[in-house]
Amino acid sequence: MTSHDISIMVNGVRRTGSVPARLTLADYLRERLDLTATHLACEHGVCGACTVIVDGETARACLMLTVQADGSEVTTFEGMTKNGELGPIQEGLWTKHGMQCGFCTPGFAMTISELLDENPEPTRDQIVEALGGNLCRCTGYVKIIEAVEEAVAIRGGVT
Amino acid sequence: MSLFGASVRRKEDPRLLRGDGRYVADIKLHGMVHAIFVRSTWAHADLRGIDTSAALADPRVVAVITADDLPPGLAPLPCIDAEETTKPFNQTILATDRVRYVGEPVALLIVEGDRYIAEDLVGLVEVDYEPRPAVSTAEAAMAPGAPIVHSETNVAEVLEYDIGDTAGALASAPHTFTERFVTQRQAGMPMETRGVIVDWDQRRDGITVWSSTQIPHSLKAAIVGYLGLSENAVRVIAPDVGGAFGVKLQPYPEEIVLAFAAQSVGRPIKWIEDRYEHFVASTHGREQYHDVEVGYDDDGRILAIRDHAVTNTGAYLQRLALVEPFIAVSMLSGPYIIENQHLISTVLMTNTTPLNPFRGVGHVQAAFVMERIVDLVAGGVGLDPAEVRFRNMLPNDVFPLHRGIGNVLAGEIIYDSGDYQACLTRALEVADWDGFRAEQERALTDGRHLGIGIGFFVEETGLGPYESGRVRVEPSGQVVVFTGACSSGQGHDTVLAQITADELGADFDDIVVVHGDTDLVSSGVGTYASRSAPVGGTAVRHAAIAIRAQALRIAADMLEAAPNDLELIDGEVKVKGTPTRAVSLAQIAGRVAPGQQLPDGVDNYTLDATDVYHPTTNTFAYGCHISTVEVDVETGVVTLLRHVVVNDSGTLINPLLVDGQVQGGVALGIGGALMEKLFYGDDGQPLSTNFMDYLIPAVGNMPEMTVEHMAVPTPLNPDGMKGAGEGGAVGSPAAIANAVADALLPFGARVTETPLDPVTVYELLRDSTVIAPTGA
Amino acid sequence: MKPPDFDYVAPTSLDDALTALRSDNDAMVLAGGQSLIPLLAFRLAWPTLLVDLARVDQLTGIVEHDDRIVIGSMTRQRQIERDAMIASRCPLLSTCLGYVGHPQIRSRGTIGGSLAHADPAAELPAVVLALDGKVRVVGSSGERTIEAADLFNGFLTTSLRHDEILVDLELPVAPPRAGSAVVEIARRPGDFALCGAVAQVEVSNSNTVVDARLALIGVGDRPVRATAVEEAMVGGASPQEAARFAAVGLHPTDDTHASADYRLHLAEVVSKRVLTKAMENAR
Repeated sequence: MTSHDISIMVNGVRRTGSVPARLTLADYLRERLDLTATHLACEHGVCGACTVIVDGETARACLMLTVQADGSEVTTFEGMTKNGELGPIQEGLWTKHGMQCGFCTPGFAMTISELLDENPEPTRDQIVEALGGNLCRCTGYVKIIEAVEEAVAIRGGVT
Repeated sequence: MSLFGASVRRKEDPRLLRGDGRYVADIKLHGMVHAIFVRSTWAHADLRGIDTSAALADPRVVAVITADDLPPGLAPLPCIDAEETTKPFNQTILATDRVRYVGEPVALLIVEGDRYIAEDLVGLVEVDYEPRPAVSTAEAAMAPGAPIVHSETNVAEVLEYDIGDTAGALASAPHTFTERFVTQRQAGMPMETRGVIVDWDQRRDGITVWSSTQIPHSLKAAIVGYLGLSENAVRVIAPDVGGAFGVKLQPYPEEIVLAFAAQSVGRPIKWIEDRYEHFVASTHGREQYHDVEVGYDDDGRILAIRDHAVTNTGAYLQRLALVEPFIAVSMLSGPYIIENQHLISTVLMTNTTPLNPFRGVGHVQAAFVMERIVDLVAGGVGLDPAEVRFRNMLPNDVFPLHRGIGNVLAGEIIYDSGDYQACLTRALEVADWDGFRAEQERALTDGRHLGIGIGFFVEETGLGPYESGRVRVEPSGQVVVFTGACSSGQGHDTVLAQITADELGADFDDIVVVHGDTDLVSSGVGTYASRSAPVGGTAVRHAAIAIRAQALRIAADMLEAAPNDLELIDGEVKVKGTPTRAVSLAQIAGRVAPGQQLPDGVDNYTLDATDVYHPTTNTFAYGCHISTVEVDVETGVVTLLRHVVVNDSGTLINPLLVDGQVQGGVALGIGGALMEKLFYGDDGQPLSTNFMDYLIPAVGNMPEMTVEHMAVPTPLNPDGMKGAGEGGAVGSPAAIANAVADALLPFGARVTETPLDPVTVYELLRDSTVIAPTGA
Repeated sequence: MKPPDFDYVAPTSLDDALTALRSDNDAMVLAGGQSLIPLLAFRLAWPTLLVDLARVDQLTGIVEHDDRIVIGSMTRQRQIERDAMIASRCPLLSTCLGYVGHPQIRSRGTIGGSLAHADPAAELPAVVLALDGKVRVVGSSGERTIEAADLFNGFLTTSLRHDEILVDLELPVAPPRAGSAVVEIARRPGDFALCGAVAQVEVSNSNTVVDARLALIGVGDRPVRATAVEEAMVGGASPQEAARFAAVGLHPTDDTHASADYRLHLAEVVSKRVLTKAMENAR
């Protein structure tokens, strides 16, 4: 019905535009900004594939309207790669074979990044608890857990 | 150094990890319009008419397509494994006079804008349904006077195999029992739903199709056939595919309708299936029950099995509709001798979403039924379940073993190689079978109920009919491998490069694997049935071997030596004994590049070889799963303690990737064993249409897992590979079910169905006749 | 699964929010969106206007008083989860948040939103019910306070009127010798429970139970105070004995997740377990 002006910092860049109220943050990122690494796998907030970071906390982009993110800072999976270089979480996923089809991976990576920011040396139980809101159908999760432990090791921690 | 057998990191990962994946939903074309399907909201109804006038009056609507807009006389989608006797209960591209399941595509609406607009406008297409009585269960479909889904009968086919003298053996067996085993309706549920983009390409007077599919060449063939286009006019591309598991294993009606629409609309059209739609519109699997009668002797030898399986295959026979009903009985005997088998498999239609094979198809049920039977026999004779398995297992000198049953898709079931005893022995060691028994006893004195269960499986893998592999060496030194296999996350880019590097000594980083594009890969079948290594990999191996031979012939000319005096090592052809005289593959490719004068005896420009490998018979992977569980007998909740897999997929190209396949398969098996079930109401209305109703395992459901590999290579291909994509899913429900049954033995509870969700376990306990021992 | 079209306002004052809500009979409040937006995606809700409360600053905050805690309705669940004062003075609330969905849900979800949504399997309504909390609501007829016992009326139904906004929640501080616990039976961590219980007990110096509070979830169309169980505990029964009264007054129905019989059975099991845990925590 009406359009709303928004201004959002996305991966460190200010983006402005005018959006319908019902446009989800996920669709804004994917369709308006061509940041397609935020994937839609369920659109009802269960699978976590669309996880992004909003104002420093993970959120499901399919459960946010773009207008709710007006004035916020959003980081997507694309923002994890600086100057084409893979960071520790990505290296961990690569080394430990923590991804197969790659569709759930961006959401996991965002969740893992929040976990390690809050808890740089999580126990295995803490890793399992933190990842509970992200679903994967390919890996069976074992190697995703190992990837987190590898990321911790790369960052210089000890689990 | 050869990379064959090495656990190297995947080539495909860096791109995906940078966020540069390109799944079909990510693709945007200029001028693109958006499509949404009008789908039946009735399980069974006559289609009296479709009024598109309101839709067409809306300026945002670009087109509406119904069956009347398609060319007349279009054939329904075929069931390619149908027998002559199989009823023609096939699905038309769009519903014509009747709809038979909720979700059946009735019309296509194409709008200017986006999916939001499309969902706003889809209600403008008015469909006049006259509901008919519907059936959703096998029992209801077979009852006298049941509503008929198609015509005359709901039985589409009955397969029957009779080996030995089952009636006689059962009659004379010292012990017999009957039982019904039930496996529930499940679905593959990849994280990426389906999606299609079609674009009419004026330059080739044809169509380009992007589809999240496992079978781009089959899809191309279907579009060529339906649209009457020449093969050159159709290009199908499978972009990055976010998981498939069999759900993307056939040309679907939506893909054909969209291809027609591309022709008439003249603009790129995008359709992305949402998850709600996926639950009803993408194929399901597994819904079956088996009525068995088993005869055995005092030594625990299983003498005879009669098995009548009934598969609820849904409203229409899909492309491979007979595979699940067939494998579920034909592979029942798994690793065991069982001289007398009478197997019947009924394929039944109901007003539910159709079934098509997904990961583990039929083998999951066969293993579940057989492994439960073994444990029940063990209980009957008072023997250890592992011991009963050893007593019934095929010995190692039987291979190749004709099992006496034809194979629905090709040829005959012939087990190729294996050492089942060694596999079981090792699994028992790794799981500490005896140690666990002691732990189980101790736990019982504390009122805790632990259980351990075995799930042994044999699985047909490496299915034909063929796969293509092509290797081309460029003068730059890059080696390009083209495969007809199509990745949906398995790691084809990596393992096929490993094979090529092994054969040619080329640098792993110089090898690029191309798949999923019918313009670039001239022929192919696709990825399913654990075939990418044994069939796809063998085709690549053969092509690389041919490159090797070509390279030696050309190098002989360049080095003025006889081919027999040359060897190819580390990407260079050297004169044996004089390693300083060498030419690289790049130089060899350059020697025969167009513009050169070809050496004597060399007919072709470019260093390029193609193989299309037709396996004469398929391989059989196998493995042993052992699951340990704790059952909370107050709540029925099953907690998985540990899961052990000893898996034999023959020679492995990349053990790390195989571990991933096994672990992922086990997760799927856990879902099937404990929590996944698609419900339908009696009226055929689907009741499980989102991830809150249909639970798939999360990280917290995974037990500690140990995966070990053993290899009795297959003699059927040069590398001895068998295929590893499904084994994790096949043996795990059997092992978990047996573990739960073991935990509940003190209660006399009889485990015969999955999922063993808390309510089911609670009801088993509630209805059991034995009061459990408490404490010491 | 895209939401239907609607208008949207994000007022910065409660008065403006109330005015917006009154302006449209099909207006709905948007709090955290974690329950509402899925309904919109399934097109099960068709608001013509969403009134986003996120910018009404006065609705966020945690205030400690002597004997009670007041939490603004728009306070995010994660903020409450991390609050040290609440962990020590209202431990039942703190504990239950660990069971609410997953971190990504709790970063956006609000306490007011959860209460107003009133899912019978949700933990927060059960805690408010168990502790006899009160919510303050404001609407066109002014301000009123609703006791927890009068708040949850049925499946996804509260006694809030269409034009009312939930402003804050008041919970009593736990008494000194109290123990609390949460028990849930779910197939996966973070799922909606098949059945669950939240409980707080207060014991005397001689360890007799002087107060027992227990609310059940997943046993019907709303959370239920198991008053018969509570009375039995105060009367000196053990958790196991008291739990036998858990099914009193419960009328669950069959659904695809569980049968009514199972839920009744679990009601007793979770009651026994939660009271056992709460008693251990009280000592």
